[in-house]
Amino acid sequence: MKWKRDISVGASFIVVAVALAVGQKLVAKTTPAQAAGVVMAPKFEVDPLWPKPLPNHWYQGMTIGVSVDDKDNVWIVHRPDTLSASEAAAAQNPATGTCCAKAPPVLEFDPEGNLIGHWGGPGPGYQWPESNHGITIDYKGNVWIGGNGQNDAQILKFTQDGKFLAQYGREGKNGGSNDTENFGRAAKIFVDPKANEAYIADGYLNHRVVVIDADTGQFKRYWGAYGHKPDDANLGRYNPDAPPAPQFRNPVHCAELSHDQLLYVCDRVNDRIQVFRPDGTFVKEQFIAKRSLADGSVWDIAFSKDPEQKYIYLADGRNQKVYILLRDTLEILTSFGDGGRQPGEFFGVHSIATDSKGNIYTTETYEGRRVQKFVYEGLAPVTKLDQGPPWPASTTR
Amino acid sequence: MSDRTRALAPRMGVAFSTLLVVLAVAGNALERSVAQAKNPVQAPKFQVDPLWPKPLPNHWVLGSVTGVAVDSDDHIWIVHRGADSLSVLEKGAIQDPPTGCCVPAPQVLEFDRAGNLIGHWGGQGSGFDWPHSTGGIFVGPNENVWIAAAGLAPATARGPGGPGAVQPNAPQDAQVVEFSGTGQFVLEIGQAGKPGGNDSTTGLDRPAGVSVDAGAKEVYVADGLGNRRVVVFDAATGAYKRHWGAYGGKPDDSPLGVYDPGRAPSQQFREVTCAKIAKDGLVYVCDRQGNRIQVFHKDGKFVKETVVSKATLGDGSVWDIAFSSDPRQRFLYVADGQNKKVWILDRSTLDVISSFGDGGRYPGLFYGVGSIAVDSAGNVYTGETYEGKRVQKFAYQGLAAAGQNGSTR
Repeated sequence: MKWKRDISVGASFIVVAVALAVGQKLVAKTTPAQAAGVVMAPKFEVDPLWPKPLPNHWYQGMTIGVSVDDKDNVWIVHRPDTLSASEAAAAQNPATGTCCAKAPPVLEFDPEGNLIGHWGGPGPGYQWPESNHGITIDYKGNVWIGGNGQNDAQILKFTQDGKFLAQYGREGKNGGSNDTENFGRAAKIFVDPKANEAYIADGYLNHRVVVIDADTGQFKRYWGAYGHKPDDANLGRYNPDAPPAPQFRNPVHCAELSHDQLLYVCDRVNDRIQVFRPDGTFVKEQFIAKRSLADGSVWDIAFSKDPEQKYIYLADGRNQKVYILLRDTLEILTSFGDGGRQPGEFFGVHSIATDSKGNIYTTETYEGRRVQKFVYEGLAPVTKLDQGPPWPASTTR
Repeated sequence: MSDRTRALAPRMGVAFSTLLVVLAVAGNALERSVAQAKNPVQAPKFQVDPLWPKPLPNHWVLGSVTGVAVDSDDHIWIVHRGADSLSVLEKGAIQDPPTGCCVPAPQVLEFDRAGNLIGHWGGQGSGFDWPHSTGGIFVGPNENVWIAAAGLAPATARGPGGPGAVQPNAPQDAQVVEFSGTGQFVLEIGQAGKPGGNDSTTGLDRPAGVSVDAGAKEVYVADGLGNRRVVVFDAATGAYKRHWGAYGGKPDDSPLGVYDPGRAPSQQFREVTCAKIAKDGLVYVCDRQGNRIQVFHKDGKFVKETVVSKATLGDGSVWDIAFSSDPRQRFLYVADGQNKKVWILDRSTLDVISSFGDGGRYPGLFYGVGSIAVDSAGNVYTGETYEGKRVQKFAYQGLAAAGQNGSTR
């Protein structure tokens, strides 16, 4: 056994020596920086093989919603009818090829990326949106879906098996931003477990946040930018050098309530987040990549999974990245992603959600057409504001 | 236990317990495994490398990738359609004013085998006609790079400038262009805006693919999307040498009608998208919308044909071909952009023995897989056009029992 002990002693010595060397290096490297205040932020790494390939030659269209349920299953909603004739070759009449078929609009994956559920589309008793948009699993486990089609003025609620529960608002009945029965191309829903109220980002036609009773759909209150009464006057094109717009632009794209009861609203084309109390009292706003034009920078947000929800993850489909913000100050700490079709890159990163382990899921609309998983790697010092695609360290440039 | 399986058991030479396990599977699966044990079909097996190549610098993004080639140093070259194939939402940084990410990458990119970008060039220059819509790419043993120009005349320019942006009233593509490895112009065959017909000895019509026979110093042009022929030129001078159509006949422009899988094969090519030369001198031609490969001697003498996925409509099944890297080039890899997979064929029989891939945007899946190449280690690289806009690497894993539609993940 002597040789073994010698080796282990030797090994220990080496470990100690390495530890000392590393320690010295770390001390040398980090002490001055820490003195200057090292910024820590959540770190992520893309999982390039999540989810697993879909069965049946199913192909995803524009993927415009993601939500994680209490079992950490990941739900997405996509638009099968956005597939080109070439993508959906097997669905043509006659079929022009063996691939592919249109996947059902609602897909449920387990944490390992296996497809475990699928449903969605028109059915009796409800009006499936012309263009489904946003998916939310609420604290009761119900599935909410919005719609931003031309005539979509309704939101829908289903069980996780796809059984219809409720529809609020009627297709084609939009009455503008002060209508108390219908929506205007609603983008996304959040349900507050404390008050059992649903917050609707409303939307692509209206310019407001609406709060309804999550069980009855009864309208309770609504407001526009800065907590003002919303109106539908044409604001013209976004100009980053003009004073901030007094109203939300279309679309109002998310409305997410934090544990400490602050509501964060995505005013996408205005490149800003506005923060409110649940009663609509305006708290503050923050611009993100303010010079972003066209479809804007603030697409969707998710909170970090720590109890304090210290960080906000913000999907920016215009600049093809996810920002990490300190929620308290709304300051950008770092970002990851870039444009492209490879893992960790984006085209039209549209929706974002986190699971109980802190992992991030994103979906891409336009020609992105994916759901991607970013594995939470703990907190790490921020070395770059713009990290690029978060690939495993050994593989990056 | 049936008489048949009992009789087979000793020949299978397996332990009784293993046999029980084998018997536990469904009967047809047993028959399949027995058949394979008797006559195992071996096919190359691949695993997708989801993190190849490495992310591009400078917020560069790829447009529709129309060609991929591997040079003698195992560098991987791609050509893509750049700005014109990118929506304004993908090239926000070159809008005026800029709207956001990103920038069209230069149209010719060179990667090392590890996936590092080591070279980039391409675009308009003086003395040659840069394709406004690229086709295939080929890199010769002298490292010279040939690019086919496969585009129709654009009705209008789309979007702002940048690599791949087309001027309004740009002439139709009708040329192949040779460059040095660093992008210096060497030779042009044909001329943009001056398409030649199926009998032309100087002009081409939207050639889609090009390859060079280094020994004979000849260049083979798959001509193309406009014509229905293979044309051979002197690689040094560009002088015309010969051409032929389907079955080695005279190519013509007679109306073919829409492809109908129920009818006899067309006597003309529909779309010639590749002409690839095997080491043994056979020339493999892709008749894309004809869903077929035709094989010729270098003089144009017809040898044989095979139809791949005959019922395929739309763009057709046979987009591009690469040979396996073994000295005998035992296998053909066929990129099928319509069915979104790569077929593996036994080159001697032209039988399909396996395939991999499926439709989608995830690693190992495809949209518009239209170009394919192999490195010296047998790894396969694919380029995706349309909205695929990727190059993917499939690492060679050796030979294994063939299975249709294998996963590469």
